[in-house]
Amino acid sequence: MADQADFERDAMQYAPQLYSAALRMTRNSADAEDIVQETFLKAYRAYDSFEEGTNLKAWLYRILTNTYINKYRKQQRRPSEVELGELQDLYLFRRLGESSGASYSAEKEALDQFVDTDIIEALESLPESFRMPVVLADVDGFSYKEIADILDIPIGTVMSRLHRGRKALQRKLWNVAEERGIAGNDT
Amino acid sequence: MTAACEHAIEYVYNYLDDEVTVTRRTRIRWHLRRCAACTSAYDFETRLKQVIRDRGRSEPPPELFDTLRALLEEERANPHLDE
Repeated sequence: MADQADFERDAMQYAPQLYSAALRMTRNSADAEDIVQETFLKAYRAYDSFEEGTNLKAWLYRILTNTYINKYRKQQRRPSEVELGELQDLYLFRRLGESSGASYSAEKEALDQFVDTDIIEALESLPESFRMPVVLADVDGFSYKEIADILDIPIGTVMSRLHRGRKALQRKLWNVAEERGIAGNDT
Repeated sequence: MTAACEHAIEYVYNYLDDEVTVTRRTRIRWHLRRCAACTSAYDFETRLKQVIRDRGRSEPPPELFDTLRALLEEERANPHLDE
């Protein structure tokens, strides 16, 4: 069992990542700070029950997402099937390819033109039940099993939400590319 | 688009997430060596994943560490005061 006296030393390194994840969930900095503070307080109080040597980062993320859900999501909302619609695999790759008639390098170059705010807004545009798995996998680098534990959902559900969430993210980025004319139409 | 292409595209995310069996990984690698179209798609998705990881994270406010330290300090001095 972990020693409460070590909590600050062990956990503080994860604060920036936890803050960023909280910001993707709440979409505003005041709420994100609140959630991180509450997460740290809860984790500190429960640290005696944390099994040393196991995955501290995942344990903290689990407390973070639970805190978020309890605080901001009054009723558990199941994602509806129509929420995202069906999208083709490799959505962005194919759209960029069609629009530019481009060589593969042009498609990759188009990616370099997305700035931080494009990526952040695209992530935050996703419906919540898809956004969380995508952020946990693509930004925080968790495995499917870890995400299943953090969100307390079956691993098959993680995979299907991740799959659909990523396609929706690609559609969003495609919209940005089109609006900005960085899809290669005018070059 | 061959059956091998379909297989490679179906598992592109699992492959890039490092969530495929050794057998599947070998089969996909074998296919990618001889299919330029699927290799382009895989390179693109690899790059996209990297772009999301690099640009999808926000920096915390500079005072975050101090705030958290003060919070834990307060909790040590007056445990469970807010409960």
